[in-house]
Amino acid sequence: MIGLLARRLLQLIPTIFLVSVIIFSLQHLLPGDPALIMAGEEKDPEVIAQIRAQYHLDQPIVLQYLYWVKGVFVGDLGESMRLKQPISELIAQKLPVTLQLASMAMVIALVIGVGMGVLSAVKKGTGWDAAANLFALWGISTPNFWLGIMMIFLFSVQLGWLPASGFVSPFENLSQSLKASIMPAFVLGNSIAGVLMRHTRGAMLQALQSDYVRTARAKGLHEPRVVLHHAMRNALTPIITLGALEFGTLLSGAVLTEQIFSIPGFGKLIVDAVLNRDYAVVQGVVLVTSAVYIVLNLLADIGYILANPRLRA
Amino acid sequence: MSSVLEVDELSVSFAGEDGRMTTVVDKVSFKIGTGRTLGIVGESGCGKSVTSLAIMGLLDPASASVSGTVTFEGIDLRRESESRLRDLRGDRMAMIFQEPMTSLNPSHTVGAQIVEAIQRHRALSRKDAEARALEALRQVSIPSPETRFHDYPHRLSGGMRQRVMIAMALSCDPKLVIADEPTTALDVTIQAQILDLLRRLRDDTGAAIMLITHDLGVVAEVCEDVLVMYAGEVVERASVGTLFRAPQHPYTVGLMGAIPRMAERKPRLATIEGSVPNMRALPAGCRFSPRCPFADAQCRTMPPPIREVEAGHTTRCWKAPLESLVA
Ligand SMILES: Nc1ncnc2c1ncn2[C@@H]1O[C@H](COP(=O)(O)OP(=O)(O)OP(=O)(O)O)[C@@H](O)[C@H]1O
Ligand code: SF4
Ligand SMILES: [Mg+2]
Repeated sequence: MIGLLARRLLQLIPTIFLVSVIIFSLQHLLPGDPALIMAGEEKDPEVIAQIRAQYHLDQPIVLQYLYWVKGVFVGDLGESMRLKQPISELIAQKLPVTLQLASMAMVIALVIGVGMGVLSAVKKGTGWDAAANLFALWGISTPNFWLGIMMIFLFSVQLGWLPASGFVSPFENLSQSLKASIMPAFVLGNSIAGVLMRHTRGAMLQALQSDYVRTARAKGLHEPRVVLHHAMRNALTPIITLGALEFGTLLSGAVLTEQIFSIPGFGKLIVDAVLNRDYAVVQGVVLVTSAVYIVLNLLADIGYILANPRLRA
Repeated sequence: MSSVLEVDELSVSFAGEDGRMTTVVDKVSFKIGTGRTLGIVGESGCGKSVTSLAIMGLLDPASASVSGTVTFEGIDLRRESESRLRDLRGDRMAMIFQEPMTSLNPSHTVGAQIVEAIQRHRALSRKDAEARALEALRQVSIPSPETRFHDYPHRLSGGMRQRVMIAMALSCDPKLVIADEPTTALDVTIQAQILDLLRRLRDDTGAAIMLITHDLGVVAEVCEDVLVMYAGEVVERASVGTLFRAPQHPYTVGLMGAIPRMAERKPRLATIEGSVPNMRALPAGCRFSPRCPFADAQCRTMPPPIREVEAGHTTRCWKAPLESLVA
């Protein structure tokens, strides 16, 4: 297993390198000289030269890249031109908000998706199965923004149960925090629940037909134990990988959902940055997002290895 | 002689894609006495596995429709509740499957899977159940059972996995063991060892064994009674001695011609001309008639009755006893 993990880690090196080059190039592919933009209205040649020196823009491109990488390593991602705040600080503020939202969405998606997938496989061909499939179809095909608006309309405007927008940190007030994020988390989790449900159903149907499940039944085991301990244990292994990858999807889905619910998270940060041409922020956000993706992939691999005795040995 | 298992007119049908029912096991009847071994032989697809799954109650009721009676130790299994059947399965009656490579759960250790069976049926502490599982592994001659106990199935060879399956089946001292081609997937030397093991276990525990096989050679070695199946039906039934001395069904005779000797048991039942009929389009009359050298017009139009040619020896053939053909 150690060998397998080491190989996975080694494989990461070229990925990280490539990603970093792409993100670094972003800045250079964009139209306009960053120094000119930063110099403001006056375009004082002295100021421009100073900026060039300060940001190493007068150096060869390879050196510029290395300076940038060095900055990334010490957590220096530059500064937002618009907010005049270090980007690392901005990210440290916004990322937890989005991570909280995405994690809640993931929990909701897993509970609904896996729960319904198992149920529909066990009750194949019955009304339960049909209902679960319909729900999955609905979840996959309902646009997030529509569902979000409808939920706000129902639960906030009509019933007045939940706040329509905003964010409260769980460390400040846990119940308020849950109240504020349950709707966006559901909206976000809903689409993935459908995907997870379908995969779970397929994997469970296959597992329930397997020889080892027949053996479990031949032992006289009770059906719940056959389903949970024997079929699900094997069917869920691929779901681990899928779940981790879908978590990445949730992060990008959060961009839209955060807009709908006016949540000051990562999505809002990037949208604002793009709209205001705050390129350094875009770069930082993309970098962190890529890092999160890479870590998720790694976690998915580790989870898969741990869940699979053949690889663990 | 009291019967452990009595099967009477057992039939199984499956619904096809088009919704039409296909009967793959047709009114099969037999008995197995305490401590006896009944062999069931027949070519691939003749319904051996389906018969055993029906007896165990392991067919999916959503797709299989079963009729007839199965009496096990005086209990009418087909009228019992599913929960009562679950209590019997793995305890009083156990099954060893045809597919050793896939019949163990890849995600649990071998030991855990045996312990699970024991704890399901016996109120034993984990420690005692483990001790018993280890003993079962020792009984089936698995080398260094203490280590194997903690292994996952993928670390074991097919032969070892089949031994584990046998250990699991025997862990609660069943009165009936159904062994569905326990050696087919294994190579010849391992086959002999597994058969040896089954024989020894029967002698030690007095369990009745229903041994399914492709192979008359195996029957001759291990069984006392034998049932020959063809296209879902029993075509001949006799004690092993009688069957080998005076087979009464042309199909059995054909199989005998095809018995490979133990040493060179490679080609299986290859010498009967033609192939097994399609169960969805059976020939009229005798199901064996398209392949039978003695078939005549009567054979091709009317299904033959079961005849008892001597006490305990029955055959489903118009021409029985076959000696009359030669005379
Ligand atoms: N679940 C099922 N649904 C539909 N048909 C089935 C099903 N299981 C078995 N059959 C059919 O029933 C017939 C008998 O199958 P069975 O598995 O009992 O054969 P077998 O005698 O065990 O053969 P083999 O020696 O190859 O194991 C075959 O024609 C098979 O296609
Ligand atoms: S009934 Fe006729 S066709 Fe069938 S086995 Fe006997 S002789 Fe052959
Ligand atoms: Mg079979």
